[in-house]
Amino acid sequence: MNLETLASQYDGKLLLKQELDDSIFNELVNKGLIQKVSGIQKRLGLTTCQRCFNQENKYFGKMPMDIIYCRRCIMMGRVSEVEPLYYWLGDSHGVEPIEKACQWKGELTPLQQKASDAIIDTIERKSRLLINAVCGAGKTEMLYEGIEAAIAQGLKICIATPRTDVVRELAPRLRRDFPRIQSAALYGDSTELDHGAHLVIATTHQLLRYRQAFDVIIVDEVDAFPYHKDKSLPQAVKRAAKPEHAMIYLTATPRTDLKIKSALHLIQTVSIPMRFHGHPLPVPTFKYVRKLENQLLDQKLPQAIQRWIYNRNGRRYLLFVPTIEMAHHLSRLLNNTPYVFAESPNRKELIQQFRNKNISALITTTILERGVTFPSIDVAVIKADHHVFDVAALVQISGRSGRSATDPTGDVTFFYETKTNAMVQAKQYTLKKNKEAKEYMR
Amino acid sequence: MHCLICFNTLHEDTTWATLFESKEEIVCESCNEKFERLDLEKHHCQRCMKPISHEVNLCGDCVAWRERMGIDPLSRNISIYSYNEDMKDLMARFKYRGDYELVKVWEQEVTQIYQHYFAGNDFTIVPIPLSEERLSERGFNQAEAIAQLIGPTQSLLIRKHSEKQSKKTKLERMRTSNPFRSKIRNAPRHILLVDDIYTTGTTLRQAGQVLLNSGAQQIFSLTLIRS
Repeated sequence: MNLETLASQYDGKLLLKQELDDSIFNELVNKGLIQKVSGIQKRLGLTTCQRCFNQENKYFGKMPMDIIYCRRCIMMGRVSEVEPLYYWLGDSHGVEPIEKACQWKGELTPLQQKASDAIIDTIERKSRLLINAVCGAGKTEMLYEGIEAAIAQGLKICIATPRTDVVRELAPRLRRDFPRIQSAALYGDSTELDHGAHLVIATTHQLLRYRQAFDVIIVDEVDAFPYHKDKSLPQAVKRAAKPEHAMIYLTATPRTDLKIKSALHLIQTVSIPMRFHGHPLPVPTFKYVRKLENQLLDQKLPQAIQRWIYNRNGRRYLLFVPTIEMAHHLSRLLNNTPYVFAESPNRKELIQQFRNKNISALITTTILERGVTFPSIDVAVIKADHHVFDVAALVQISGRSGRSATDPTGDVTFFYETKTNAMVQAKQYTLKKNKEAKEYMR
Repeated sequence: MHCLICFNTLHEDTTWATLFESKEEIVCESCNEKFERLDLEKHHCQRCMKPISHEVNLCGDCVAWRERMGIDPLSRNISIYSYNEDMKDLMARFKYRGDYELVKVWEQEVTQIYQHYFAGNDFTIVPIPLSEERLSERGFNQAEAIAQLIGPTQSLLIRKHSEKQSKKTKLERMRTSNPFRSKIRNAPRHILLVDDIYTTGTTLRQAGQVLLNSGAQQIFSLTLIRS
């Protein structure tokens, strides 16, 4: 039994029996190397899944002999009244420190540098930080010096985000820029292992598997669905952190709770109103279309949309729609322009093809609203007054345009039937940030 | 009420019909649409329900079995669903992840099919057992869960631990020695074997053969899925 190897596999995790080496299970128990926690806890008439924090009855099921199990996190393996969780009690596993791990040769803008310094300081003091940076501010690069410093100290780092697509985009970038470190990208169907990893890039959902694992947790797109709706995810992030840890939140559009904490100075905040290339955020244009939704459902393409597409003149574009049904209708109206949504079978491939410029247009639901970068594109929101397009969504969508330094402008158009507060506030946000950026430049 | 598969809220319109009928919806419409019931109008093998061309009555597999073994222990198999991608996902969740509650999804259909083909014929319902190792791994036997939807079952067979069937090729499956043993000497005359999936029929035939050897006269099978 090699304790160091075992620690690298088990330390910092909540494991099921079948995830432990069967041949040494009894020895692990007898030597006090693993601690058992009941999988389902019943207290004061309240039943709680000890892995995913579920307390809702609809997610609990019964097996033969009336054994209660959790159906909510069952895709991670079954937790039940007779199937407990285990965590490692042996010596904790240290990762090997690596000096100067970052190979990125770019230069930070003064604003990025300010954020970067704050991150290093936060990691040093094991405290909390909010980076409120506009879309295209270059958030990933701001993290690099902090990650490098943490790795040099042998700290374990996790970048967590609610979105799978963000994990898939971030992981290759970080691996390119930190070629010598061990890393793992974890999301629903990835098969990577995190044994001995300096850096784990994971969906917040995957953090349900961890307990006291990380010294530094960076939550990217902290306001994104489902993190802000699903109470178990912030709990998972909290549990995945070691008792002494640094926590860094990144977003362009903080929700009310973080905004209040920030305003009351309960969390240190760095605000970055300017994109890394120094050009202003594209301001959305509003275009009224009478009976927009009905026209689309009747298989009619509104003239205004037709004209907008015609005016792209060969530039690539994303069309955001509120529902899968509308994506389907719009696709048929536009010579079967491909469309993606959360469960579409070829989502990954289509996004890759759009990235590789093999296709010039893509229809999408809000799944592509954030965290993804395509250079030189325009965006339109069809039915921008639909309730799924809240302020944050519209700001993020607008932020997909004009991302590249060589092509820093782009068109953003909202097609709507009834103007909403969200639309107006999204436009105000853009104007306000652009004004702040201008003041900063002076 | 929530959909048993996707947990979305079920919108039930209260009408006179829903008030008086005790039939309760447990799966939402969009999940229900994903099930593909076998088309009984289509021409299929009279023994195992595999879709085949009109010129023949038995499929190649069933003919091959009879030619190789002399007699076919299985008189007839009835399956309900085809094994499409959605069903594969659902079975993985039910069987391998162990989401036992899902068995309720098939209750209506299984009891209906049973009524239609087998009721009133004094069948003894025998689920295909798991080996003890596999049973303790999964916490329940999926075939037994399905069989219990119909009525009381009898455990007449013991299964030796062997490699997972799904990891073997067709030829390997046909060749493997029989993993089943009968618990009794005087088996009931009419047996209805129940399993989750009919793939090549080898498992059901091996179980059937063991029961024939201990006195049963006719073996039928009811399987949820024809793959």
